Amino acid sequence: MTIENVLLVSAALFAIGAYGVVSRRSLVTVIMSLELIFNGVVIAAVGFSRFTPAAALLSDDPLTAEAIRSALTGHVFAIFVTAVAAGEAALAFALVFAMFRATESLEITDASEMKN
Amino acid sequence: MSVMEVSTLTTVAFWVASAMILSLAVIVVTQHDVFRAAMALAGTFFGVGVLYFILSAEFVGAVQILVYVGAISVLMAFAVMFIQDITAGSRPSQGRLVGAAVAVLIFAALAFTAYNTNWSSMDEITDPFAVAALTEGYFEVGTGDDLRVVTEPGFTSEEVLIHNDGVLVDSTAALGVSLIREYMLAFEIIGLLLVATLIGGLLLMRDPPSSDEDEADAQTGGASV
Repeated sequence: MTIENVLLVSAALFAIGAYGVVSRRSLVTVIMSLELIFNGVVIAAVGFSRFTPAAALLSDDPLTAEAIRSALTGHVFAIFVTAVAAGEAALAFALVFAMFRATESLEITDASEMKN
Repeated sequence: MSVMEVSTLTTVAFWVASAMILSLAVIVVTQHDVFRAAMALAGTFFGVGVLYFILSAEFVGAVQILVYVGAISVLMAFAVMFIQDITAGSRPSQGRLVGAAVAVLIFAALAFTAYNTNWSSMDEITDPFAVAALTEGYFEVGTGDDLRVVTEPGFTSEEVLIHNDGVLVDSTAALGVSLIREYMLAFEIIGLLLVATLIGGLLLMRDPPSSDEDEADAQTGGASV
């Protein structure tokens, strides 16, 4: 297990999600694929946090608590992305319901007009 | 258990979790039954949570399982069951071939970059105190400018341990400190964002105006033209 392996899995998940976003017509499946993309990105962030040293730990400056904590920047990134993704999913489904109520359809091609 | 054994075990666990994640993700994007796709998505989220534990990000792994498996998957299943039209299934779009080509290109580019970049390694950390703080436990003493990092008293640290054997043992506590010191503003803003999302979601889900009002609007609109 190296940083390359982690990035490979991350890239594969991102690519599968990207394929899902363009290859499906159902809005629900498109949102699911978006979540796959989010997860792929977060895997990369956590992998970098795990395998590559923070710049502050490589410098010759005296060691500080901030420098030690900077090894966790990837984790902080992961938590913020997760929070944004959770909000995005909730809002996206509210939009899906609103669209379903207006057009009685869930297909992306039926959502080409802004005004129902 | 020696370092070598742990390393082999985590490597095997990593590939098992990765295989589970990727095969379930393929099911998510190819399955026609949307409910089955949602179940496969929950499995993918769980696998990613396991991957975070393997990458010694315990708190992120717990958050992943709580938020994704616990909340977002339930939201997806709810959405799938709520919308009656779901028997029609998820039909593929016309852009499927183009999408597959683009996805393969994205993957090739990212994989090429990953394997052809000279990533810096944890072994490059030479400060023995930093190595000790990262591998043996992390504690802070003092406040403000007097803030210092100490490791557990009486530790026996070997520098080689930092290689592929866990980073920042006490990561959850350090993460909590990080969130309320360096990332305080972002932490507050994310709270605001979640409140805005909650209100926005409620507003969008509100009952539409009744048909009487619609007709009244249409009549006045028609009369004024």
